[in-house]
Amino acid sequence: MTEIIVVTSGKGGVGKTTTSASLACGLARTGKRVAVIDFDIGLRNLDLIMGCERRVVYDFVNVINGDCTLKQALIKDKRIDTLFVLAASQTRDKDALTAEGVRKVLDELIADGFDFILCDSPAGIEKGAHLAMYYADRAVVVVNPEVSSVRDSDRILGLLASKTERAEKGGTKVREHLLLTRYSPTRVAAGEMLSIADVKDILGLDVIGVIPESPQVLSASNAGTPVIMMDESDAAAAYGDAVARLLGDESLPMRFIDEPKKGFFARVFGG
Amino acid sequence: MKKAAAATPASVIDLRFGQVGLLQVRLREVDAPAIKAELAARIASAPQFFQHTGVCLDLSALEHPPEVATLRGIVEAIRLAGMITVGVSDASPTADQLAPALDLPVLAGFRQLSRPPAQLVRAAKAAAQPAPEAVSEPEPEIAPPPPTSGLVHTQPVRSGQRVYARERDLIVTAAVGAGAEVMADGCVHVYGTLRGRAMAGVRGDTNARLFCQEFRAELVAIAGVFRVFETLPEELAGHPVQAWLEGEALRFSRFGV
Repeated sequence: MTEIIVVTSGKGGVGKTTTSASLACGLARTGKRVAVIDFDIGLRNLDLIMGCERRVVYDFVNVINGDCTLKQALIKDKRIDTLFVLAASQTRDKDALTAEGVRKVLDELIADGFDFILCDSPAGIEKGAHLAMYYADRAVVVVNPEVSSVRDSDRILGLLASKTERAEKGGTKVREHLLLTRYSPTRVAAGEMLSIADVKDILGLDVIGVIPESPQVLSASNAGTPVIMMDESDAAAAYGDAVARLLGDESLPMRFIDEPKKGFFARVFGG
Repeated sequence: MKKAAAATPASVIDLRFGQVGLLQVRLREVDAPAIKAELAARIASAPQFFQHTGVCLDLSALEHPPEVATLRGIVEAIRLAGMITVGVSDASPTADQLAPALDLPVLAGFRQLSRPPAQLVRAAKAAAQPAPEAVSEPEPEIAPPPPTSGLVHTQPVRSGQRVYARERDLIVTAAVGAGAEVMADGCVHVYGTLRGRAMAGVRGDTNARLFCQEFRAELVAIAGVFRVFETLPEELAGHPVQAWLEGEALRFSRFGV
């Protein structure tokens, strides 16, 4: 049984691609077969974050147009055997995607026995974002703890409830999860950032993960390593927890959501 | 909301009679400069809300029929204010004569007949009942009797979504997000936080009310009388609130105080 999960947000720059890469790695590490697809046609980034940009020969649009087979376009990850990347086209525009084309690729991946298909949505609410969410079974809505991101997420949640295949066919609705990124407990305590409770309250959804603001996210991106693979990073541990919750472990407590306690020396000498 | 009056499967257009929201400007005087000044002042409070809005001139409050030239001046004043006059309402002989001269259609609306206010209220109430159709529905087909219970909406109304309860109340049991719109011909009830826009009595029922569990609305309108909340009044923000019309004025009060 294949599950299609869209990673979306509405707003740009909140961490969709970072999240797609880390969730894909995290799921694949448990032995699941995972394909992660970049829907951001014309602005492809996922291959960079996954560290496979030099191995892209064929892309998503090539598969849709029948220029190559899906097998030729899927890039096998070098770290995890069960993880595959389908890159976006950098030279086309978003009109290259069609609903039938996307369905065909998804069907082929399902027939191939993948456990999870992650769809990394572009920002905005136009065609790319629409097609990324259209066939989803579940949605991970990435949100930063600030008002414009929360507003855009609300809009996206509205679209998930109305503009998806599940919504249009009247079946069970798309399961929605919130994932907070760039969360800084210190700034929340100072009242500069919305708290987890604020975001939950405004969007009326439960949070599947809280990723703390961490310099390692940027250095991981630059190194082409999904941040979840960086050992001894808070962000990696938090993504690990989010993957476990995605797989159904609801008992895990949230970590890295409280202001760090200052140690003895920090208290004496000022931290 | 709309019913097809004539459409064949193969046709390239649909001809439909429908109802759309339209800003009505009811003229009390025909003094174009004064109208222009007042429009500018009103619009300054919510410029986005009025930009390129279609306007229907309501002549029912005028004692004497205005001159065509005067009305042209008023249409121009409205245009300068950034809005577009799309028709004349008040289906009296006055409008019937004036409208063709202005090249505008006569829009027969819910308040089609120029009736005194008391009758208007009764007509609005009657709209909730199936028997006397006070609405001038152009379509001859037999409408099913409107449902008597309210429209219950259990999902959150997200930013950009719009929920409309035609000829009945709307009951939302979840939150209404910022940038969302909830509308009803009757009352609007929100058993969650109301952050978006709420409009009750959208077809003119001045007895319609708004009720909400946690008030943080951007805009509240009842029978076309609206208020924009740029900043929320301290005494209302976050509290259970109801809103209703008293004459032409919107009133707000907290529950349980």
